[in-house]
Amino acid sequence: MDSKKRKNFAIASLCMALATALAFLFFHFVPNNGSNIALIYILALIIIVRFTDGYLPGVLSSVIAVICVNFLFTYPYFALNFTLTGYPITFIEMLAVTLFTSTMTTHMKEQAKLIAERDKLLSEAEKEKMRANLLRAVSHDLRTPLTGIIGASSSYLENSASLPEEEKSNIVMHIQEDANWLLNMVENLLSVTRIYSQSSKIKKTDESVEEVVSAAMNRLKKRIPNAAIKVTVPDELLIIPMDAVLIEQVLFNLLENAIIHSKSSEAILCYVLDDNKTVTFNVKDFGIGIDPGRLPMIFDGAPYIGSAESDSNKGMGIGLSICKTIILAHDGTIDACNHENGAVFYFSLPKEAAL
Amino acid sequence: MNPKNQLLLIEDERNICNFIMTILKSNDYKMTYALNAETGLSLAASQCPDLILLDLGLPDLDGIEVIRKIRSWSNVPIIVISARTQEKEKVEALDAGADDYITKPFGSSEFVARIRSALRRAASGSNSSSRTQQKYIAGDLVIDYEKHIITIHHEIVHFTQIEYKILTYLSQNAGRVITYDSLISHVWGPFADSNNRILRVNMANIRRKLENNPADPQYIFTEIGIGYRMVDNENT
Repeated sequence: MDSKKRKNFAIASLCMALATALAFLFFHFVPNNGSNIALIYILALIIIVRFTDGYLPGVLSSVIAVICVNFLFTYPYFALNFTLTGYPITFIEMLAVTLFTSTMTTHMKEQAKLIAERDKLLSEAEKEKMRANLLRAVSHDLRTPLTGIIGASSSYLENSASLPEEEKSNIVMHIQEDANWLLNMVENLLSVTRIYSQSSKIKKTDESVEEVVSAAMNRLKKRIPNAAIKVTVPDELLIIPMDAVLIEQVLFNLLENAIIHSKSSEAILCYVLDDNKTVTFNVKDFGIGIDPGRLPMIFDGAPYIGSAESDSNKGMGIGLSICKTIILAHDGTIDACNHENGAVFYFSLPKEAAL
Repeated sequence: MNPKNQLLLIEDERNICNFIMTILKSNDYKMTYALNAETGLSLAASQCPDLILLDLGLPDLDGIEVIRKIRSWSNVPIIVISARTQEKEKVEALDAGADDYITKPFGSSEFVARIRSALRRAASGSNSSSRTQQKYIAGDLVIDYEKHIITIHHEIVHFTQIEYKILTYLSQNAGRVITYDSLISHVWGPFADSNNRILRVNMANIRRKLENNPADPQYIFTEIGIGYRMVDNENT
């Protein structure tokens, strides 16, 4: 509080001193120019009011200004004379201007503060909502494979004597499938914590695009060994700023989605295009495409409630919403659309870090 | 493998410990295990295992510290088993002297392959002068260290001095991850700028000469944020 007062005082005295100096210059070089001098003081008063808090600095300054005009620039010089014609009017004018502007600016400042506070509250609420949504979706998505694992393993243990060999390996295969799916989910969630843990911005380093693509391919081949993917990168080496681990995660998610959800055995195309200011990564499949009603909110992470298909439990909702979070954190864009015979997901990253 | 190789597993979670022991015993390795760093270190000293599998998240001592302690008296290959996905810890472990790492969870075939590759490297390193470093062979790629010639599909491919240096370093350590920093200091010297852009450019050139498709390599793999791994040498 004390420092604020000091700041107010400093601004006010600086402005008044400047105004007085200016007025002196005017007074010496342009004679008989009393109205300009008053205007200079009024300007100074408005500036003081704009940059100080509360009414006091403005009102005090206006009193000082009136006295200055009277004392320094009206006849008799260097003497106070309150009987001058029109003097009370000048005094009242100046005071009125100051009071009026200071009321206005104080009001404005208060409103700006209120708006900022409301925005902050809103974005906080938004974040809280997002978090809650994510948590709900995650718990829902986690429960399904866990139920499968627990059910399958207990039926194996309880009936192992009576089950045929083939059935047994079938059960274990299902357990493995569900566990792998869980692992994917956890890796996605970990990448989100990676974004949020690093305070505001992600840590970008210059990375070679083809290395990120090949790392994603490599991981995918380990997870899905018979996946058919044709991948191409530009002949020229592209190095752009990014968090490579996160971008690899995005590519991995998109490729895996394409394999699982396109329901087609035709090879998936993964290609990188070098635009002028951005680099675009594309994942194109030749499958059933995306339900048009779902397209607009496909990245929103909302659980899909459309036609209840068999794979609804393996929702790609969270994976895609995490992709979006990652790309937005890179100041990039991500989108999806249908083409003649399938779907294409694509995201662009800026070549230069935003200033 | 003539006499059974003896492996030491240092891992604090019993479930994972059991599962690893089962895999490795069925692959004909002689196993001992420790559930904490202290017993692990004393077993490492008393039993002289052929390879140590080390979990980084031990209750009594940081895994990196365990690596340093073992390295102070022994060159036994260490494979780090890490649940942490953070690249920094992996780089730290490798720089502290670990030979390789494998991230939990892993498939048993990949795991056993890594162990075999580490044991093979250790074996060829120990009787070095006689049989090391004649040739590296992987698929259609042959690197002849004596003649300084690299061929793909029996055709000679020309590499620059720097590219050749990178390739020999990676291939002589085939199967294990070489961190960016160690690669840079090996090729450009210890005082080189650790900005790895120049490394990236050289790697891109190598890839274009070596691989059919640079985005889907067969010989040199990128471990994001950590380094490069060259495919195992078949010439052993």
